[in-house]
Amino acid sequence: KKTFKGRFVRDVGLGFKAPREAIEGTYIDKKCPFTGNVSIRGRILSGVVVSLKMQRTCIIRRDYLHYVSKYNRYEKRHTNLAAHLSPAFIDIAVGAKVVVGQCRPLSKTVRFNVLRVIKQQKKGSKRFAKF
Amino acid sequence: MGISRDHWHKRRATGGKRKPLRKKRKFELGRPAANTKLGPRRIHYVRTRGGNLKYRALRLDTGNFAWGSEGTARKSRIIDVVYNASNNELVRTKTLVKNAIVVVDATPFRQWYEGHYVLPLGRKKGAKLTPEEEAILNKKRSKKVQKKYETRQKTAKVEPALEEQFQTGRLLACLASRPGQCGRADGYVLEGKELEFYMRKIKSKKAK
Repeated sequence: KKTFKGRFVRDVGLGFKAPREAIEGTYIDKKCPFTGNVSIRGRILSGVVVSLKMQRTCIIRRDYLHYVSKYNRYEKRHTNLAAHLSPAFIDIAVGAKVVVGQCRPLSKTVRFNVLRVIKQQKKGSKRFAKF
Repeated sequence: MGISRDHWHKRRATGGKRKPLRKKRKFELGRPAANTKLGPRRIHYVRTRGGNLKYRALRLDTGNFAWGSEGTARKSRIIDVVYNASNNELVRTKTLVKNAIVVVDATPFRQWYEGHYVLPLGRKKGAKLTPEEEAILNKKRSKKVQKKYETRQKTAKVEPALEEQFQTGRLLACLASRPGQCGRADGYVLEGKELEFYMRKIKSKKAK
């Protein structure tokens, strides 16, 4: 019988490492992929963080080019995605490039969960950024 | 049907209003809530989609509660509903719902503990034990059996907050099952940080 100090941290799989804050922190978040009850399966996407105004979720913008065959040219398009942001990611700011993984519906619009921050703060983040 | 669980009555994520494109369908139906109360057991059966059964508990008085740190569960009587994070009304009307904090009878757990570790739990100093309890606690045992109990006693320490609850014969527990769906009020005994948290909440409510 152990004095229950152990924190429940799970391995998300697909090569994603749990951030140190998830293992050492004391937050409780049932929708966190590392310390909560969601599994990551399905699509893995990436995007740029556009808004952090929601509690524990962020809006991610994914830019892409759409081909118009009549003119043999491309047009810029973008989609916004709501993703759950675990409290494990403390230093995230608007403009950070981020990897999100699909999980079960967590709320009306949230079906993704932030798994990793690739690159932090970039200037002029609302501009089109192809990657 | 009156209650329906459809999505098309809600606004879109952009805020735009949605025009309904069909009538209410049977697979979107919702049923009235169970509002399980404390009392002698009364469960109604509901035939659901696919011919399956849901056990709508209307009144319950016992449940299987798990003592996590000891790794056992005992069926025990639910005495009172004490706190509900969503709605104080549910506490006042003593409604059993998932994640309600209830007070549970401690005797089945105490009996298990005393049988397993052969140590008195929650007994007042110098209280007289009935002959059966005496028999369990102070039985004459062979050396081998006594050794078994002694190794167990090494890990027998119970946290002080729980011990106090055993003295009064009532444990705080949290419901983990949904009585309106499965017809059972099962749960786990509150321990550690959770116990602290809920005791603080209950105290602050009483103080108001």
